[in-house]
Amino acid sequence: MLHSIAMGFGVALTPTNFLYCFIGAFLGTLVGVLPGIGPITTIAMLLPITFKLSPVASLIMLSGIYYGAHHAGSTTAIMLNMPGEPSSVVICLDGHPMARQGRAGPALCISAIGSFVAGCIGVIIIAFFAPPLAELGLKFGAPEYTAVVILALAAVSALTQRSLLTTLATAVFGILLGTVGTDVNSGVTRFDFGFPQLYENLNLVGLAVAFFAFAEIASRAGMAETRRILDKVKGLFPTRADLRDSWKAILRGTALGGAFGILPGTGPLISAYAAYTVEKRLAADPSRFGKGAIEGVAGPESANNAAALTHFIPMLTLGIPAGPAQALMIAALTIQGISPGPDMMDKHPELFWGVIASMWIGNMMLLVLNLPLIGIWIRLLRIPYRLMYPAILVFCCIGVYSVNNEVFDVALAAGFGFVGYVFSKLGCSPAPLIIGFILGPILEVNLRRALLLSGGDFSIFVTRPISLGFLLLAAAVLVFLSLPAFRRTQRLPGADLAVDEAAED
Amino acid sequence: MKPIRYACLGLIFFALGIGAASAQQAPYPDRTVKVLVPYNPGGATDIVARIVLDEMRKSLGQNFIVENKAAAYGIVAIEEVARAKPDGYMLMIGNISTNSITPVLHKNEMHINYEKEIVPISEIASISNFVLATGAFPANSLKEMIDYVKAHPGQVKYASVGVGSYPHIDMLMLMKATGMDMVHVPFAGGAGGDLMANLVNGDVQVGILNVASFGPIVRAGKLKAFAVASKMRQPDYPEVPTMTELGFPGIGSENWQGLFGPAGLPKDVIATLRKALQDALKTQHVKDVFASNSITAVTGGTQEQFIQFVRHEGERFTETIRDAHLVVE
Repeated sequence: MLHSIAMGFGVALTPTNFLYCFIGAFLGTLVGVLPGIGPITTIAMLLPITFKLSPVASLIMLSGIYYGAHHAGSTTAIMLNMPGEPSSVVICLDGHPMARQGRAGPALCISAIGSFVAGCIGVIIIAFFAPPLAELGLKFGAPEYTAVVILALAAVSALTQRSLLTTLATAVFGILLGTVGTDVNSGVTRFDFGFPQLYENLNLVGLAVAFFAFAEIASRAGMAETRRILDKVKGLFPTRADLRDSWKAILRGTALGGAFGILPGTGPLISAYAAYTVEKRLAADPSRFGKGAIEGVAGPESANNAAALTHFIPMLTLGIPAGPAQALMIAALTIQGISPGPDMMDKHPELFWGVIASMWIGNMMLLVLNLPLIGIWIRLLRIPYRLMYPAILVFCCIGVYSVNNEVFDVALAAGFGFVGYVFSKLGCSPAPLIIGFILGPILEVNLRRALLLSGGDFSIFVTRPISLGFLLLAAAVLVFLSLPAFRRTQRLPGADLAVDEAAED
Repeated sequence: MKPIRYACLGLIFFALGIGAASAQQAPYPDRTVKVLVPYNPGGATDIVARIVLDEMRKSLGQNFIVENKAAAYGIVAIEEVARAKPDGYMLMIGNISTNSITPVLHKNEMHINYEKEIVPISEIASISNFVLATGAFPANSLKEMIDYVKAHPGQVKYASVGVGSYPHIDMLMLMKATGMDMVHVPFAGGAGGDLMANLVNGDVQVGILNVASFGPIVRAGKLKAFAVASKMRQPDYPEVPTMTELGFPGIGSENWQGLFGPAGLPKDVIATLRKALQDALKTQHVKDVFASNSITAVTGGTQEQFIQFVRHEGERFTETIRDAHLVVE
C-alpha cells in the first residue's frame, strides 16, 4: 500500500503532471468563484484539449477542476449571497449573514480550512478504502435511495429561517419544478408546454442562477448602494472562539460528505444540506442558524468537499460514473484508449495512484491559493455594484447557456429570476426550493423503480435492512421535530428581530 | 473628413468583394464547419464524433467544431440542421436512436418532414450490444436464460435507457420471439451511473446493452454476456456467440453513428465529406481508439446504401413500436 502511494506521488510530482494539477486547481477555483459557470461545463469545454495530453495528466487536470470548483464555490455565496456552484447553496444561509456582520474574512477562512481538512481526509478515504466502499455503495438500490431521500425531506425544516410553512411551501414548489420533463417510466413528457427543450429536466444551474444571482441582483437594483459591509470588516482571520466552534463541525461535515459522496447521483449538494441539518440539530442554540452561525458554514463546506472527492470512488474502482463530471472524465480516458472498469486499479496502477496523490497535492495548492485570496475577495467588494453586477450577469448567462447550448435555457432562467425576485421580496429563502428540486425527482424515480422491482409491494422498503434503517431514522427526526422543547427554541422572542436587522443591511 | 470617409467605404467594398469572390471560388470547406451532436459530451456518439472530426480537420484544413444539443431525443438538433442552409457548414452526427427511432417514435412532435429535409451522408462506426445478465444470474447461456425466464414469468427485470430506446425495443423483440415475460425497468441518463450499479448489484437482472460501456465490467466478471448482436463475434470477446449463431437473426441492434446534413447539399460537398470521413477512419489513431473501445469503423459502401440502411432501420422498429403502443399521440 505504502509502496503504491509512493509510486502515486512519483507520478503526480513529475513536472508536467504537477503543472496540470495546478492548472486544474486554478481553473477550478476560477469557475468555482464565478456563479453560473461550473466544473461540468468547463470539463466539457476542455475535453478536446485532453486528447493531446497523457491519460494521467488529463485525469489529474479534470479532477482538479472538479474539486477545485467545489472548494471555491462558497466564496461568492458568502460575499454576495450568490452560490458559485449549486453545491454551495446552503452556504448562503449562514455565510452571507456573517459577511453582513463584517465577518466575511473568518467565514472565508473557515471554509478554506474546512475544505482543506475535508479534502485531505477524502483523499485518505479513497486511498485506503475505495474498493470496499464502492462495494458498499452498490448495496444502495432504489429502495435505499428512496429511504435516504425521505430522511432528507423529513429534515428540510432545518432550512427554516422565519416560517416553517414558507419553507415547506418553497420545498414543495421545488419538487413540482422537478417534475418537468420526460417521465422515465412511461416516456410521457410532463409540463413541456410544447417546447422540446423541456423534454429533459429543467437544468439545475439555470435554477440556481435564477433564484440566487438574478434575484439578488434584481432586488439590489432597487436599493441605494450601501457600502456598510466594508465599514464593518472586523479582521480577516477567525478568532479562537470561531475555531473552537467549527472544528467539530468540520469533522462531522467531512464524515457525512465522505459517506454521501460514495453514492452515485447524490453527491456534494445533498451532503452539504445534510451537514447543515445535522449542525443545526446538534447546536445548543439552533436559533443562531440563519444569522451567521459559523458551524453553518464549516459543516456544509467540509461536507461538499469531502463528497466531491469520494464521488470519484465508483469511477476509479468500478468504472461507474457517480455524476456527470465523472462521466466526462471516463469519456476523456476512453478517447485515450483506456476503458475505466473494475480492473483499472490493476491494469493502470500509475493512473489510479497518480490521480489520488495529485488530489492531495491539489488540495494543498487550493489552500495556498485561497488563503491569500481572501483579502482580495474582500477588496473586490469595493467595486461598485453597478459595475460588478452586469459582469456577473454576463457570466451567469454564459454558464446557463453552455450547459445545453440553448438560448431557451437563458430565457427560462430570466423568467425564474423574476419569480426569484418575488420570492426575495416576500422573504422566502430559495434554498429549500433547490433542495426540493434535487430531491423530488430522485424520490419519484427511486420510489417507482423500487415498486417496479417488488411488483408493487411496499414491504420492499422495510425488508431491506439499509432502507429500514434510514426510514426509522426519518421517523425519529419527525418525532424529534414535534417535541415541544424543540419548538420553543425555534420561536425564541427576539430571534425574528435579529433576522430583520440582518436583512436590512 | 470626406476623403477619409470615402477611403473607408472603398476599403469595405474591397473587403466585401474579396469575400464574395472567395466564396465563389474556394473549394469546400473554406471556413469552420459546425457539427451538432444530439448528446451531452462524453457519450459514445460524442466520442466517435470528436475523434473522427479531429482527423477530418487535419485533412480538410478547416475546423470541425462539435456543438452538443442534447434536448428531446435529438429533435432539437435535427430541426436545427433541417433549417440550416444546405451549404455543408451545418451538419449533424446522429445515431440509431436519434436518426432512426426518433423519426418514427416522435414523428408527431417534429416540426419538419424528417424524410424530406434530412439527408444521410455516410455511416461512421457502430458499437455492438451484448445480451447481458448480472453476475449472480442463474443461467450461463442465452438458452438457459430464456428457460429460466419462462419458468419464472414476470419476475425477472430488464434494464433499458428509457421507454422507446433501442435496448427497450430490442428486448421487446427478443421477448416476442421467445415468449419470455419480463418487467421493464427504464433508467434515465444513459447507460452509465444508475443503470450500471443496478445491473451489477442484481436489482435488475438482464439487459441488451452496448459492448463499449459494459465490456470492461463483463471482463471483470461482474456481468455475464450471453450473446452479441453483430454480424461477427467481437474480437475482444471471441467466446460470446452472435445472435444469428444462436438462431435469432435480426434481433438486437448495433448502435451505429452516421453523418447527416440538410437536404439539398451539393454533390461535391457530399463527396468531399465522404472522402475525408473514409480517410479519417483509416488513420492509425482512429483505429487504435476504436479498437480499445470495441467500436467498429464502417468503411466502404455508398451514400445510397446508407440512405437505404437508415430507412430500413426505421422500418425494423416501426412494427414493435406500434405493437407496444409506444408512440405518443
